[in-house]
Amino acid sequence: MEPNMIKITNLEKFYRTEEVETIALNKLSMEVKKGEFVAIMGPSGCGKSTLLNILGMLDDPDNGSYLFNDIEVAHFNERKRADLRKHNIGFVFQSFNLIDELTVFENVELPLIYTGVPTAERKKRVEAVLDKMQIMHRRNHYPQQLSGGQQQRVAISRAVVNNPKLILADEPTGNLDSSNGNEVMELLTDLNEQGTTIVMVTHSEHDARYSHRIIRLLDGQTVLENIMI
Amino acid sequence: MIKNYLTIALRNFWRNKLFTLINVTGLSIGLATCLVIYSLVNYDFNFDKFEKEGDRIYRVVTIFTFSGEKEHNPGVCGPLPWSIKNKVTGMEVSAPVFRLLMPDVYIPKDGEAPIKFKQQQKIAFADSSYFQLLQYKWLAGSPKTALNEADRVVLTSDQASIYFPGLPFDKVMGKTVIYDTIKTTVSGIIQPIKENTDFSFHDLVSYQTAFTHLSWRMQLGLNNWGGTNVMRQLFIKLSPGTHTEQIEKQLNNILKMESNSRPGRTQVFSLQPLSQIHFDVRYGAIANWNTANLTTLYYLLLIALFLLLCGCINFVNLATAQATKRAREIGVRKTMGSTRTQLIGQFFIETWLTTMFAVILAVSLIPIILRLFQGFIPQGIKFDLIAQPSILLFLFLLSILVSILSGFYPAIILSGYKPVDVLKNQVVVGNGQSRNQWMRKSLIVTQFVIAQFFIIATIMLSKQINYAVTKDLGFKKEGILTVASPFKKVNAEGNRVLLNKLKSIPEVEMVSMGNDEPSSENTSSTEAHYLDGKKEIKTDGLDEKFGDENYIKLYHIPLIAGRNLKPGDAGKAFLINQTYAKMLGFRNLNEAIGKNIDNFNGDTRMQIIGVVADFHQESLHSPIAPLAILTSTNENFKSVFHISLKSANNNKWHNAIATMQKYWKQVYPNDDFEYHFVDETIANLYEKEENTVTLLKWATGLSVLISCLGLLGLAIYTTNLRTKEIGVRKILGASVTQIVRLLTKELILLILLAFAIVTPIVWYAIYKWMQGFADRTAISWWIFALSGGFMLLIALITSGFQTVKAAIANPVKSLRSE
Repeated sequence: MEPNMIKITNLEKFYRTEEVETIALNKLSMEVKKGEFVAIMGPSGCGKSTLLNILGMLDDPDNGSYLFNDIEVAHFNERKRADLRKHNIGFVFQSFNLIDELTVFENVELPLIYTGVPTAERKKRVEAVLDKMQIMHRRNHYPQQLSGGQQQRVAISRAVVNNPKLILADEPTGNLDSSNGNEVMELLTDLNEQGTTIVMVTHSEHDARYSHRIIRLLDGQTVLENIMI
Repeated sequence: MIKNYLTIALRNFWRNKLFTLINVTGLSIGLATCLVIYSLVNYDFNFDKFEKEGDRIYRVVTIFTFSGEKEHNPGVCGPLPWSIKNKVTGMEVSAPVFRLLMPDVYIPKDGEAPIKFKQQQKIAFADSSYFQLLQYKWLAGSPKTALNEADRVVLTSDQASIYFPGLPFDKVMGKTVIYDTIKTTVSGIIQPIKENTDFSFHDLVSYQTAFTHLSWRMQLGLNNWGGTNVMRQLFIKLSPGTHTEQIEKQLNNILKMESNSRPGRTQVFSLQPLSQIHFDVRYGAIANWNTANLTTLYYLLLIALFLLLCGCINFVNLATAQATKRAREIGVRKTMGSTRTQLIGQFFIETWLTTMFAVILAVSLIPIILRLFQGFIPQGIKFDLIAQPSILLFLFLLSILVSILSGFYPAIILSGYKPVDVLKNQVVVGNGQSRNQWMRKSLIVTQFVIAQFFIIATIMLSKQINYAVTKDLGFKKEGILTVASPFKKVNAEGNRVLLNKLKSIPEVEMVSMGNDEPSSENTSSTEAHYLDGKKEIKTDGLDEKFGDENYIKLYHIPLIAGRNLKPGDAGKAFLINQTYAKMLGFRNLNEAIGKNIDNFNGDTRMQIIGVVADFHQESLHSPIAPLAILTSTNENFKSVFHISLKSANNNKWHNAIATMQKYWKQVYPNDDFEYHFVDETIANLYEKEENTVTLLKWATGLSVLISCLGLLGLAIYTTNLRTKEIGVRKILGASVTQIVRLLTKELILLILLAFAIVTPIVWYAIYKWMQGFADRTAISWWIFALSGGFMLLIALITSGFQTVKAAIANPVKSLRSE
């Protein structure tokens, strides 16, 4: 039995405006094992993205516990979270979120800069990952010169270049056509097979089928878990 | 990491070319102005800093009090330098210096006429103590002996090369240099002081020379404790540990013992520190009178800071306006593990890079800025980046300061975005309530306040100067010119011949001989007593104007009572002005006629023979003062020809002046013919103010330019931001006018707010400035209205193009692009 990478218990998150308080996560509990590929599904506003942001330590919960590799991180401060994040987690977004002013190479290089990898080593690792993602020939292009599928491949390259233990993907195929979408899903599956844990938020049942397990959310709570066979 | 920051910064600059250009232009104008003004201020603040133990060097100055009014004189009475030598303790050096009043210098040449250098300045009598005060490098001769004998002169090497071009310094030694009539021998060559100094004499004639020539001996006033001359200065160096009070006490005790006190008047010696000499306009500097005006320097600094501030404001505004564009990048960087400090560092580097571009542009703008400040820039000032490392250092520090000023706020705002919000596109844009917007609006208002301050001040100052120059001063000033005889060698007989010849020129209407014009920069004044039987009216400052019987006729000065001057009135009778007649208590001006004024000039009894209407005898800075118009037997007081030309012959003036020159050369063959039109001379009384207005005009232009550049940037940005809103509004039926109104309403409100803020500030500043004029124009409301209107117009034109473009754009296009 693989140990837990993620274990959250009774997690709560509220959004407050002056007049209304919205519950985004309502005493949510779940676990993700190391090496698992989990898809999170649910209607818009059910708390999927909030959950992903908390898992990625971009946001903090209001209540509850979040154990990441058995370390309680729910109340880590910004600096500690940033530190833990940059060494362990890679992100893939629906809208790619590449920096327009940087080339493909420079975008992928960015996480390595923040983890203090030396220049020569950076070059080697970026080239290796670009090669693997078959986007090496586009290394000096800017994001706006690429197709959507190519941009997402760059984004995935950036997410994996640091060899993260966990990849969080927020509707990674949402902006792609089906063939490019499938390609991206194949890439994620490959990464998972090589040992990377993946948590993916998606609306697409088709994409969810690539995962080991689907967690369905409604109103900030788990309503169903499907184990894929 | 720095490379990554620089890369992204440069690409951002390129992508936002227009904004970069606006930022760089605005900042560079501010920086260039700062740089020039820094050089200027630095130049003035570095005067006489090189002297060893300069903090112990002082000039002995004299402070007089006449009827409670203080007068400051940089000189001392004649005997003082010689009588303190053995009597005063606590002094290491006492060095007397006597400035020669523009002598002609002659260098004899074998078998040829001597070479003449006309009216030379920076020539003084000094003795060897001068070289104890200041350490020179000697190229020939010795500081101990060079000035020990009469008729010796020490030259700076520069001056020696002017007098004896190409001659080696050891050959210059022993050569003859003649000052007017005094023949001297070169006994030393010194290297001129390279540092800024007011001790800029280049010819130092031995003091003994003055003792041996009668005319000079009299000027030294060696026995006259009552006479103080501005040219006769005394410098002392205190012994270590001596306080100035100790010396002042000893000096004033000597004065008390030697001189007779006069009632109503006190005379006190005071020590002026070397460090203050360059800035104290009351005393003037040393080798010339040009002091630096601290107030002007502070104003200049303020202008530079304001312009720089305007540039920084553009930067802050455009950076925060664009912040949302950068938000995603920030979100991604944070997600990848960047800390806030790293992001702040990144934005600072970007700001610094912009500033560096601006610095490069600023350096190339400097020649232009130097021209703008021409009127304020002393001749000795140089601008050489390589030779002046202090300027480079200043530039570096300034670029850091500007980066902090411009970069701090945007860096804090940008780095504060939460990645979750920006990645979800939840960063609030275009929200009127946001802190960013509030800040941006405040900064725009600040810019408008600065620009409007300059606009209003410029118009108001111009109005006052125009008022002063065109005001009816109480006499005629058009079509009159003055020609002064050479002041040290007035040829009385020749002048009489010249007078008749000038009168014979057909274009000449009338000629009068006297000295100053009715309005002049300097008016001599004297004391006078009037005894009306019961009480005595003493006047310490009765102004004097010298002229003959044609003087008031020529200048159309109305004679209100009595008769005009006659040739025989010299030393017996004079005309007075209304103000003086009133001071003396005559309600009916005719009563004044025939009354006597005692103690005029100390010892003369003068009869009032006529009263003339008041006119302004100085610039409008001074009120109309009591005045006497008189003729004199002293040739110096009737050495200026006042010539009025017939107005019908305007185009023939040129011929008339040529004829005058011909006649002049017959009397003064060796002297140049110089003439001045009286109206121009009067306009020159306001040269300082004219310079200020020129400067203000440029400050106005530049501040308006920078502000408008910023405004243009913001207009482009906001219209882009509101494209969708404009599209929706148009689809819902809004007209172009309504859209334009929507987009400009806020701008108009901001300008009105700035106007409300600036009005009291600028009113107060102008009010204070106007206090310097005794006669002043009104601070009119229309100037404020005009300036506000102008600013509004300029701002609307600037943003108008963008606004209208946005308003007439096809909404389908703008919505599709969303």
